[in-house]
Amino acid sequence: MSTVSVTGGSRRARPLLSMRARTLLTGYAYLVPAALCLLATVVVPIAKAIQMSLYNDVLFKPQDYRFIGLANYMRLAQDPVFWLTLWNSFVWVFGSVVLQFVAGFAAALLLHQAFTGRAVVRTVVLLPWIIPGVVVGLIWEWLYQPNYGVINDLLINAGWLHDRVAWLSNPDLAMAAVVFTNVWRGIPFFAIMLLAGLQAVPEELYEAARIDGAGVLDRFWHVTLPLMRPIIVVATATRIIWTFNYADLIFVMTSGGPANATQITSTYTLLQAYSNLDFGYAAALSVVLLLVMLAFTAAYLRVTKGVEETG
Amino acid sequence: MNDRWSQSRRRFLHTLAGAGVIAAADLGWWDAPFISPRKAWGAEPVHFQFSVPEPTRIALVTSLVERFNQSQKDFEVRVEFVPQAQARQKLISAISAGSPPDVCQVWDNWLGQFQGMGAVEDLTSRVKSWKHQQDVQPTAWQTVTIGKEIVSLPLSVTLDAIFYRTDRLKEYGLKEPTPDWTWDDFLRMATAFSKKDKNQYGYGMRGAGTWAVLYPSEFAYANGAEVLRNGKVTINSKEAVDALAWYMDLALKHHVTPPSAPTDGFVEIVEGFGRGITSMYQHNSGSVGQQKKNVGVQNFATLPVPIGPAKKRASFYFSETLTAFKGARNKEGAWRFMSFMLEDEPSLMYCKTLGLLPARKSIIERPEFTNDPALSGFVNSFPFTIVSPYLAYPGWGGKLDSDGVPLIQQAMVGKISPKECLDRFADILTKDMG
Repeated sequence: MSTVSVTGGSRRARPLLSMRARTLLTGYAYLVPAALCLLATVVVPIAKAIQMSLYNDVLFKPQDYRFIGLANYMRLAQDPVFWLTLWNSFVWVFGSVVLQFVAGFAAALLLHQAFTGRAVVRTVVLLPWIIPGVVVGLIWEWLYQPNYGVINDLLINAGWLHDRVAWLSNPDLAMAAVVFTNVWRGIPFFAIMLLAGLQAVPEELYEAARIDGAGVLDRFWHVTLPLMRPIIVVATATRIIWTFNYADLIFVMTSGGPANATQITSTYTLLQAYSNLDFGYAAALSVVLLLVMLAFTAAYLRVTKGVEETG
Repeated sequence: MNDRWSQSRRRFLHTLAGAGVIAAADLGWWDAPFISPRKAWGAEPVHFQFSVPEPTRIALVTSLVERFNQSQKDFEVRVEFVPQAQARQKLISAISAGSPPDVCQVWDNWLGQFQGMGAVEDLTSRVKSWKHQQDVQPTAWQTVTIGKEIVSLPLSVTLDAIFYRTDRLKEYGLKEPTPDWTWDDFLRMATAFSKKDKNQYGYGMRGAGTWAVLYPSEFAYANGAEVLRNGKVTINSKEAVDALAWYMDLALKHHVTPPSAPTDGFVEIVEGFGRGITSMYQHNSGSVGQQKKNVGVQNFATLPVPIGPAKKRASFYFSETLTAFKGARNKEGAWRFMSFMLEDEPSLMYCKTLGLLPARKSIIERPEFTNDPALSGFVNSFPFTIVSPYLAYPGWGGKLDSDGVPLIQQAMVGKISPKECLDRFADILTKDMG
């Protein structure tokens, strides 16, 4: 026979934290690794860039390294090339994104139709997006080559062109040429994103619209677009930010030339950092670019907030 | 029993691993090892960064490094090939991060900035006792000397000359130019070579990269101009402006340049000539080998740059250097490898294969260089070579790319006048003389 001793008078110790607090803390604990990664890879570099922008930090003049406050920003405000690059950046970003969106939407609508070989066509449409940006730049640089490039040859043989056109060497054409290349590369992104959105639109809504007598355009305007708005907002905002920072194509195709005609702020920043080794000024350019993008994104999301919610 | 078996198996594996380590350590000293490469214990490998990786250079440099590694057993040289476009950027990042390669192939126009960063090793004392010191051309030493410090060994030297198509001369019934040709002769030839209906242009003008500024600067010297005179920037003098106007007229008035000129860099001017689009271009001897393959050795020749109205001419002299860094882990090894590359055979092989000119006098006097008609324009240019005036200040190298090139491009497309171009460039250079 065994005896069991019971300490009837003792009470269980109260936990230090309440259940709710522990649940909350556990949740935050799971966030810690991601937050630390973000801190190390995003917040610290941004803080470092802001700090660098306040110093005269020319790598080959270490003796001149000193705190100069906002002098780099003052210099930037008086730098005509910076203002030109900012304007070029807007042309580059909005030219590219608007055309990519329109062509990508058209491609998505086409790919949404049922036809033989649709799977193959969908794969082929993705090709420009799969090819690395630098390779795209090199391919198009040779296509545009005025003396032995395919584009001039085709246009001349077709009788549409009399003289060879220097697409990338003419300051009036160079930006349009690189934007066109970027559009070619970016169409698949929009096509795939918007196709996914189109596939999520319930077929019954189209049925109902048809019964109500809505035509193709009406159905597109009153059914497709409103339901696609959230994905359109996210896709365009993402693409705008990417394109602002996307310097590969320009760097490979024109290096910002001719005569700064295709120099955007990100390539100009690279030039200041790695040609002049002026890291202070390059950091100031980066910070301003970051602020411009933040302001734009905030404004864009604000304007489209209602749109997104209605979607 | 299982435990005993397991124990003995573990012991056996430990013994085997230990024996392997001892054997590997021992084999490291063998003369003919199967663990390659054989190197002394504790010796740090020498990391060598080499840019401009095109197939010929990669094969050549790999072979030279291999040859060096076989010639000694103290340490190993490991070569890393980096695309030219990224080489400088990568090097700057490595220097800033405190882990540069031990030795690097660097153009002399980068040295000022690297020396300013306090990154390059002072080789003066090593060079003073080096057996080939007197054999290296004095101008080559000038290109790698900053202040009183010799910071590199000149692996090869380059100077600019004019490439021209000899077969086209015959085809169009033109007179063979002589080495003392003038600007007028140059223009006459460029005009005669230009056949727009055949997509042929007289002169492959360069509009992209540092040399887009250096080539017209050489023409400016032929008109009596200078970049720097008595400590003042004089690149916007009347002589310089007139020279640039004449040079730009090749594109704007005479239309003897291809329409792509404003963005044509090294690849495009070399390709343009190789494909028969252009019949003349200005470059260093580095593209001689390529043109021998492209147009054939019998179909082109080189000439010194033409004599200008001031009865002068100048060809800027550059060095392709081997530079050791202060952060090198094996400085002794780096020096031994650098000096090996300037020995007779490696230097001859390197320069002959790539069409470059050796920095050592005893090698450049060999028939491989003096008897090659494709190199005659360069060999004949030595009497009037000068060290590039843009090496005077460390910041000028960067300004050529960030400001000089866009200004030249604007002048090339007629957006600004030659005077405005040079006035603005003079301002930029003056501000960066500190």
